[in-house]
Amino acid sequence: MADSAGPGRSPLEPIFSPQSVAVVGTTRVPGTVPFDIFHNILKDDFQGTIYPVSPSARSIAGVKAYKYILDIPDPVDLAVIVFPSSVVKLAMEQCGQKGVKGVIIISAGFREVGPAGLQREQEIKDIARKYGISFIGPNCLGVINTAPNVHLNASFARRMPTEGSIGFLSQSGALCTAVLDYAHAKNIGFSKFVSFGNKADISDIDLMLSLKDDPATKVILMYLEEMTHGAAFVDAARKVIHEAGKPVLVLKSGRTSQGASAAASHTGSLAASDEIVDAALRQAGVIRCQTIEEMFNNAIALAYQPLPRGRRVAIITNAGGPGVLTTDAAIHEHLELAAFSDRTHDIFKRSLPVTANIRNPVDVIGDARADRYRVAMGSALEDENVDGALVILTPQSMTDIDTIAAEVCNVAAAYEKPTYCSFMGETDVASGIAILQRRNIPHYILPESMCRAFARAHDFRTEKDRQLTPAAQFADVDTAAARGLLDAAIAAGRTYLTPSDAMRVLEAYRLPVLGSAVARSAEQAARVAAEIGFPVAMKVESDDVVHKFDVGAVMLGVDTPTAVAAAYATILANVNTHQPDARVHGVFVQRMAGAGDEVILGVKRDPAFGAVVMFGLGGLFVEIFRDVAFRIAPIPLEHIRGMMHEVKAFPILTGARGRPHRDTDAVEECLQRLSQLVVDCPQIQELDINPLIVRSRGDGCAVTDARILVAAP
Amino acid sequence: MDRSEIQKRVTSVVASVLGIDPAEVLPASNFVFDLGADSLKSVELVAGFEEAFDIDMDADKAREVQTVEGAVDFIAQYVK
Repeated sequence: MADSAGPGRSPLEPIFSPQSVAVVGTTRVPGTVPFDIFHNILKDDFQGTIYPVSPSARSIAGVKAYKYILDIPDPVDLAVIVFPSSVVKLAMEQCGQKGVKGVIIISAGFREVGPAGLQREQEIKDIARKYGISFIGPNCLGVINTAPNVHLNASFARRMPTEGSIGFLSQSGALCTAVLDYAHAKNIGFSKFVSFGNKADISDIDLMLSLKDDPATKVILMYLEEMTHGAAFVDAARKVIHEAGKPVLVLKSGRTSQGASAAASHTGSLAASDEIVDAALRQAGVIRCQTIEEMFNNAIALAYQPLPRGRRVAIITNAGGPGVLTTDAAIHEHLELAAFSDRTHDIFKRSLPVTANIRNPVDVIGDARADRYRVAMGSALEDENVDGALVILTPQSMTDIDTIAAEVCNVAAAYEKPTYCSFMGETDVASGIAILQRRNIPHYILPESMCRAFARAHDFRTEKDRQLTPAAQFADVDTAAARGLLDAAIAAGRTYLTPSDAMRVLEAYRLPVLGSAVARSAEQAARVAAEIGFPVAMKVESDDVVHKFDVGAVMLGVDTPTAVAAAYATILANVNTHQPDARVHGVFVQRMAGAGDEVILGVKRDPAFGAVVMFGLGGLFVEIFRDVAFRIAPIPLEHIRGMMHEVKAFPILTGARGRPHRDTDAVEECLQRLSQLVVDCPQIQELDINPLIVRSRGDGCAVTDARILVAAP
Repeated sequence: MDRSEIQKRVTSVVASVLGIDPAEVLPASNFVFDLGADSLKSVELVAGFEEAFDIDMDADKAREVQTVEGAVDFIAQYVK
């Protein structure tokens, strides 16, 4: 993105807020992209000046046309190029000569069509760089800014959305048109609406950061198909959330596990690309949504209502069944039913019928009119034990839906606590819903969606207010030693470190590696075992024998010097039988870890996000259930704790059903040290510590096996 | 046929198909960017050249030609 917009000017300003726009390559043929773009700018009341540029028309829609942009006598802030891709570079060159600083390239036929298109895209990037032009696209729908002093619809969408506080950024142009239609039906407005296409210059990250500083935008929604610069995206999202306090909601498509099959280690195969995206977005505080509907359900809650201070909700309903459904949904989303104060109960007793349920959920009874809703809502929102109101209505014959809707809006406006509604039904409640939507009360067809949105809004408030802490930096590590071992392995042409070298790398970062040594004779094995202490585990030292258990190359609990010598011979004999060609460097002798639960720690280096750290319980939990969690290194302690608690089987380590409480503090420290190791040593491509034995609380943990895959960084 | 004759006939076809003054048709003119040919007109141009020169051109390669000068060079390959 060019930074030549001038002192204090954003490179995006000519694109979002131009004084003058030229549509370059427009025609006189309605129903075509070149005409519709021009016509949309004209009919949607752009507040600046518009110039059609067309090689063959003297005027377009009654507006004098220019053959070339260079023929326009006045300055042009923004050019929208709609020419076929083959001549976009000619148009771009003239834009540069004209001094245009912002361009939107609508045309398709670039990177998305193959090498020839990629070449064309590079040519326009070169021209943009030469002239200091910032551009959106190519291959996009365009840009919309609803601000009244701009009112620019430089797109070929069918309609201009109403003004609102939601910014929408999309990699797909077609999805934009569907979203505009969806939002129109729900009376949802936008501040900025951008289809960024191939993002050859201005990226999704640039756009997100520009909306961070846009006073008209309160909530940022993004549809993404890939995250090539994942780590930069995460950094930018953190800034938006923590510096500007604006939520970022992402709908990311393209879930795939293709990469997993190619990965060599446990962690590699468990960390499918979408799970890494998931972990990265969670770590950044981004709200990831699975559907457009979910994204807008959350967006209207975040954009229209105050953020909930807590999880305590008051449910107000005129029907028992929906009240119960909403209660179930609230509990499912880890919300709490508020316990009303005595004062609130007294008001309910005095004001509601004797048949009303005055406990949460408050049932104002099927014949309720607006006055009962007013009392119930007002008293509940007044109550300091309540963080927000969830209002349900079902349409009985005596229910004055519109009046109730208006009263709900009035009461909601009087409190700094959120109110969300679910007027259940479709036809009868339609006018009431429209009243709610016009006055920015989030409405949900289903109570489940309402509760989910409340929970996400509360999550966001917690995230926004969270103090960001850096990842721990241990001073007692020996980075040079670790790098030396890794570099030596790479120099020797090895893909994996030997088990003993892998242990030495971990030891350099003070991970609790058990005493061990490689023995090259039965006598030496017995001597080593006596030095490090019995009982010992023994396994063949060989790069070639990957599945050591399967070939009888592992012996556990060997507890005397004689038994060690015998085990040495047995292991070598077994390897000789099953893999006679394996290169064997001896037998690895290691002290047994003692009683504990097994966990797995791992690392995978992702091209977009960098080093991804994995945690899970060992054995079946990893193999069968894929019960693992991921975070991007470096990982602050709070996220280490978060990833550990994300694992469903984690309570096994914390004393579930009378089991011993394991030393989870020691596991936290291991993950912190591992995070530091992989940040410091980019040579590590994949790493498994499997298992890490976690002993009882206070007794620490022990690394018993590790594999490290290396490559030159 | 010499090059100037090819140039003359190309100019005539372009002016006729695009409905513009022959004086606007310069050797460096880009059919799309300078003369306003859309995809339909591009097909008509190819047909017009084939008729004017009584030749059959490779349609895919013909569509890659961007300028009047390029068209003259391309047609010259077909004209004896």
